[in-house]
Amino acid sequence: MAKPFNELRERLLRAGVAPRHVRRYLTELADHWADLTVEEERAGRSRAEAESAALVRLGGVDDLARAMIEQRHFQSWFVRAPWAFFSLAPLMLLAAMYLTACLILWSGWKIFLPGADSPFVRVDGLAILYFGVGRLLYYSAPILVGWGIGLVAARQRLQALWPMAGLALIAWMSATVQIQAGQATVPGGLGHIRMNFFPFASSGQTIAETLLRALAILSLSALPFLLWRFKRAHSVSA
Amino acid sequence: MAARETNPNFMNGVPELLILRLLQQEEMYGYEIVQAIRCRTGAVIAIGEGAVYPVLHGLERDGALASSRKTVNGRSRIYYSVTRAGSSRLADLAEAWTHLAAAIQTILTGGQHGEAIQRTS
Repeated sequence: MAKPFNELRERLLRAGVAPRHVRRYLTELADHWADLTVEEERAGRSRAEAESAALVRLGGVDDLARAMIEQRHFQSWFVRAPWAFFSLAPLMLLAAMYLTACLILWSGWKIFLPGADSPFVRVDGLAILYFGVGRLLYYSAPILVGWGIGLVAARQRLQALWPMAGLALIAWMSATVQIQAGQATVPGGLGHIRMNFFPFASSGQTIAETLLRALAILSLSALPFLLWRFKRAHSVSA
Repeated sequence: MAARETNPNFMNGVPELLILRLLQQEEMYGYEIVQAIRCRTGAVIAIGEGAVYPVLHGLERDGALASSRKTVNGRSRIYYSVTRAGSSRLADLAEAWTHLAAAIQTILTGGQHGEAIQRTS
């Protein structure tokens, strides 16, 4: 993207304009600027003069930004309803990922361990891979969702409040979740997998242990977003 | 980037009207639209050229315009054309603008506003 539009891009994103609308706007502005520059060069100006005159014809940053910001329907939903996108949606996504992990665990139990009382036993061969996928999904889910929150927040140049609230919620939910496998009540019957969420601490854990676990998850999931903010603050102050 | 003086107070709805009218004749990309407005109005209408894009995007979002990307002379352009909904919107806007212009003209020439409305309706 052409350098003259960097300031405009930042202003639009900070004002809440959705990144896809910003990208398209700046692409068309850059094309328009190139056309105007050619026109000005044909009129006998030097390259530098032509570029400068083309920018003046295109409009000032204030006018260009206002024209876009005034159209409220170009605002990102992350800015319009942050409570939904940084609390509700990540929680639902995390729950869906946990549910998938549970399904993998349950189906693996039925496929590879049909006679076992629990799926939490030593496995061999393909079962290692199968259960490994479920385990990976279970442990990485809060981190992936957290990185997603950070990515969205960084793209939209959001303040830290809502993303951090969402990250904390995700960390707490994943620290208090507990998956249990139950034996079948009748011989040869199907066992069951249960996923429990506890408001303060999962059973068998103290609140301090849960807090520590939540902090560890929060640190990992928030790391990219915090690094981005640090880098950005550093580049602005430099 | 320096700013250029424009006349925004009298421009409400005008870029939309001009754009729809121009695109009804043929599909164009942003730069062409601005040049056409400047050329056909004798440069009387002065808008920041870049400000045409939010109008185009808004019209497209409302379903009045359709866009398609085409490569012409090695450069990728987004061409805009009027949809059926856009033609209908143009007719409404043109009618409203004609009434308004007639009313203003009547006042400028010292006539009665009611007469102008009666004559144009």
